[in-house]
Amino acid sequence: MRANVWSGRNTVQVENVPDPKILNDRDAIVKITSTAICGSDLHLYDGYVPTMKKGDILGHEFMGEVVATGRGVTKLQIGDRVVVPFPIACGDCWSCRHELYSVCENSNPNAGMAEKFFGHPTAGIYGYSHLTGGYAGGQAEYARVPYADVGPIKIEDDIEDEKVLFLSDIFPTGFFGADLCDIQGGEVIAVFGAGPVGQFAIASSILLGAERVIAIDQYDYRLAMAVNKAGATETINFSENPDIVEQLKEMTGGRGPDAVIDAVGMEAAHGRGPVHAYDRVKQATRSETDRGHALRDAILACRPGGIVSVIGAYGGLIDKFPAGAFMNKGLQMRTGQCHVQKYLQPLYERVRNGEIDPSFVVTHRLELGKAPDGYETFKHKQDECVKVVLKP
Amino acid sequence: MTAKAAITVLRSREEIQQLWQSSEYRPKYIEGAEAAVTFVDAPGDRGTEIHVDLEHGGQNAKLGEIVQKLTGAAALPKVKDDLRRFKQHVETRVIPRSEGSPEGESAERKFKQRPAQPLEESELQKVGV
Repeated sequence: MRANVWSGRNTVQVENVPDPKILNDRDAIVKITSTAICGSDLHLYDGYVPTMKKGDILGHEFMGEVVATGRGVTKLQIGDRVVVPFPIACGDCWSCRHELYSVCENSNPNAGMAEKFFGHPTAGIYGYSHLTGGYAGGQAEYARVPYADVGPIKIEDDIEDEKVLFLSDIFPTGFFGADLCDIQGGEVIAVFGAGPVGQFAIASSILLGAERVIAIDQYDYRLAMAVNKAGATETINFSENPDIVEQLKEMTGGRGPDAVIDAVGMEAAHGRGPVHAYDRVKQATRSETDRGHALRDAILACRPGGIVSVIGAYGGLIDKFPAGAFMNKGLQMRTGQCHVQKYLQPLYERVRNGEIDPSFVVTHRLELGKAPDGYETFKHKQDECVKVVLKP
Repeated sequence: MTAKAAITVLRSREEIQQLWQSSEYRPKYIEGAEAAVTFVDAPGDRGTEIHVDLEHGGQNAKLGEIVQKLTGAAALPKVKDDLRRFKQHVETRVIPRSEGSPEGESAERKFKQRPAQPLEESELQKVGV
């Protein structure tokens, strides 16, 4: 089959590789009909995530048709149309039983490696380094899906791929970010980053009852999408004024947002002058892996007693964590890779009910063979790119 | 350096002790090492803790060291592999395999991962699928 593989920093290529096979009784094989490039794939592309290996098939957002099942699979049948959640979860461990699927205790066969980095292993993830298991990804014609009865959600035939594809990651991830904010009604939520996940964090905050949502980004076209499609009530373009904290305070009568969602992660762009330079140097010399401007500003801007919700991806360490502000303001930080399995059914129902059409983020549709162009366009925000969908 | 390892498995202590002795689930490396193994009820609904102590098992005070010499690899990572695989097998009925680690959790494989792409037929036989 053809698959998009990582072959070093800033390089991916579409190659012929063996077809996937069932390796376990609980596996299924899915013939992929749609797949996408995630913002977190750019962290791999840019070379900031350790334990990548040349030849790794990328991709963790995909859907398709079940074409083979292992003997232990009972809920899925050949011919079923499914969306596959990005965290691989067994459904049986204590964490899965408590709907903490992204920290599944069993699905990562490189647990010993993950333990070295994080203290504990976390769930396997398709096409997302060997730290999360070394699983082949879904930017390919076929993928093997472990624990096939636990993850994939069956999709009816009368709804097109693009409306449901993002149930695999970015819609639940954005929704999770808003869910962590304990929205009761009347809140002001600030969302750092108006990329695909940020768009869904904005839309979800509105769905959950926030009164105002402030979108923060450096690209006007993304802020326009945030307002026109996701429902943001206000915007901050930090390329015009980099002092985000002051602007947020001014927009909220000095209080600060009730909750702040970091939908940026480890490659934040907006750091000011000396601190940004410091981060760039430390990241380049690998003595700091993650640039933390968005997280720092989220903590400084959030109102005392508020919630900082972190859904942007981090991989290692950041410096200059504002521990004093975090502690003295009595903030709560809530975070994680999304427990997608928990949100699949309720969010699928919201899509079916017409409460949201997740396809609004799609700006580029390419044949799988053009994946390398898709990465470049997405990385450099060319051609007003927000989301790239690949068709095998 | 400590020569202890522990894992918690979501099953009752009675069930764990029984499976630990069974031919299907028995952790072969740990058994060969004659380590001291204790089973403790975990708090609340968390199942059972399995504690393995390599230094205080069998006749030898420094068994960990001896095992290391015998196998040519550090004993503790292999004990941890055994514990993880036991937990995986008991809780999920399978040992998870990825394309990078097709044999499942393995200390040796940690340092020489395959690329995360499907295996050729010939390779599948080698890794026992």
